[in-house]
Amino acid sequence: MNTPRDSGCTLTGALSVTTEIDGSVTIVHGPGGCAHHNFSLFHTLCIGRDDPRLPRLLSTDLAEKDIIFGGEDALDAAIRKAIEKNPSIVCVLSTCVTGAIGDDVDAICRGFHGIPVISIPTAGFLGGGFRDGHVQALISLSSLAECGEKTLSVNLVGEKTLEFERDEHFNEVKRLLFGIGIPICTRFICRSSMEDISRLSRGSCNILRDSSMCEVGNYLKGKFGTPFIGSFPVGPGGTIRFLEELGAVFSLDVSGAVAAEEARQERMFEEFHALKGKKVQFRDSLGNMTDSEVCSEIAESVGMDVHPAGQPLTVPDPFPVGTEGVRRLLRQWRRACRA
Amino acid sequence: MKQIALYGKGGIGKSTTAANLSAALASQGLNVMQIGCDPKRDSTRMLMQGRLIPTVMDLVRERGDAEISREDIVYNGFMGVRCVEAGGPEPGVGCAGRGIIATFQILERLGALHADVVVYDVLGDVVCGGFAMPMREGYAEEVYLVTSGELMSLYAANNICKAISRLSSRSRSTCRLAGVICNAKNIPHEEELVAEFAERIGSFLIQYIPRDQVVQQTELNKKTVVEFVPPSRQASIYRELASRVLENRRMDIPAPLDIEDLERLAYEYSP
Ligand SMILES: Nc1ncnc2c1ncn2[C@@H]1O[C@H](COP(=O)(O)OP(=O)(O)OP(=O)(O)O)[C@@H](O)[C@H]1O
Ligand SMILES: [Mg+2]
Repeated sequence: MNTPRDSGCTLTGALSVTTEIDGSVTIVHGPGGCAHHNFSLFHTLCIGRDDPRLPRLLSTDLAEKDIIFGGEDALDAAIRKAIEKNPSIVCVLSTCVTGAIGDDVDAICRGFHGIPVISIPTAGFLGGGFRDGHVQALISLSSLAECGEKTLSVNLVGEKTLEFERDEHFNEVKRLLFGIGIPICTRFICRSSMEDISRLSRGSCNILRDSSMCEVGNYLKGKFGTPFIGSFPVGPGGTIRFLEELGAVFSLDVSGAVAAEEARQERMFEEFHALKGKKVQFRDSLGNMTDSEVCSEIAESVGMDVHPAGQPLTVPDPFPVGTEGVRRLLRQWRRACRA
Repeated sequence: MKQIALYGKGGIGKSTTAANLSAALASQGLNVMQIGCDPKRDSTRMLMQGRLIPTVMDLVRERGDAEISREDIVYNGFMGVRCVEAGGPEPGVGCAGRGIIATFQILERLGALHADVVVYDVLGDVVCGGFAMPMREGYAEEVYLVTSGELMSLYAANNICKAISRLSSRSRSTCRLAGVICNAKNIPHEEELVAEFAERIGSFLIQYIPRDQVVQQTELNKKTVVEFVPPSRQASIYRELASRVLENRRMDIPAPLDIEDLERLAYEYSP
């Protein structure tokens, strides 16, 4: 489903990737406003995460004159200015207006050598939204990967860096991978260094954040021959299947890890015995009734009674990842039921 | 103040016709202004003794639009015709249409748009909204289509009708089709064909201008026909056009033909 999270400004989606690269400078090639409202958003986010840094954004600050005569000179100057700051990489994002007048952003970027200058097409009026910006950025930046032998490891692809529970989701996947003895090769792209990105081709399997990253999964499969798993695990059964899927990909016997995870889930359900027998119903984040399969599964495991007159419980979007995600959710629900 | 715009296929003779029309109107003692709305900036050359005057966009590029005064962009040509060229970006970059819009805003701000007659000479095809600017509210109310009897020229004129009829359907729009000018290629039955085309789209043929060697001759001498050889037949035709334009009261909302009808029409008149 296309949620408002996937639509919106293409630029923001791309910036959610480029601002995560250590030492990067991102140039927004367009009117000042395009950079400004994004700057504010990312700045607020940094403050919320106790990160004192300012997002490293530059704008080419185009005015009508640049639109009439073309904005390419302004972009060239901005890239030079960005390079003076000694960045690890310069990412150049196009905007609606520079897309409309046909500035050849790719060609300008190709004219620079030494520090990588990467063009990411993000003119939103061409029909993209936030998700497309995110996807475009990952596809463009995959050109930074260096060829190398595959190792017994996985990449995490398309983590949603603006997500509130980003770190919790990551830690849960890391825990599950640790349980079967598979290391993470690189996070593409979340809190990444240029060196991390260069390792992209060496992971033997890409784990996509969710199905919205499918295009990236397919692209990387074509480019590096890396198979992918379609999503971070969701729900108790989903978490078990995730382990089994990894086992299949790596031809590993994961039965021990699966048994341990099932035991962990059993203990968790017991922890929430107070919810047993409670009448509940599920609502999505907009307040509409929903009959989510994962929720029914959890309800059954805990022994809750799904009933049209039951206590309304909110199903968050995105759904929390893994067994620990279910635990956080059950805590919320227990509070809602005052159990 | 009468404001007229000439539209038509590229190379059909809009600038030649516009310059001679302006020259003829000025010769009658009218205060005339001609505005070239084309990055090629060659609309007013023959009125300026062959000089390519600085364009509004040249000045914007050099100084920014705040530093421009009326004297920088309006040049007096033959018989006091005041000439302006919009100009625009180098071919292949930026947005020429936006340049036309910016030019109009600057002319407005400087209060430069006043005369007995303002003649807008607009680039061949109305490729984007910017080139429809002269047809917008407050500017040209009378559009003249310049065409020959050649199919592709009629095709272009027919297309421009679409822009006129769309714009004229807006509530406050006063832009109308005032007439069709046949700038001939001297092909057989050309006048009848263009007259018939004009009728079919709901307008009329206001002037037939023959193709004449004298136009090239005067061009080489960097003058309009009206200035260089006033007694010539061609000059009297331009003067006739000027009088008819001044008297013309036709203001039609054109009905463009579909392509099959247009082709059939051209075929009927083919030799
Ligand atoms: N009646 C005429 N007799 C002979 N030559 C003519 C006549 N009208 C125009 N021409 C010639 O046709 C050529 C093109 O004319 P002009 O530049 O006026 O066309 P235009 O429609 O303004 O073109 P563009 O769309 O490129 O601005 C010129 O060289 C001009 O000398
Ligand atoms: Mg011309």
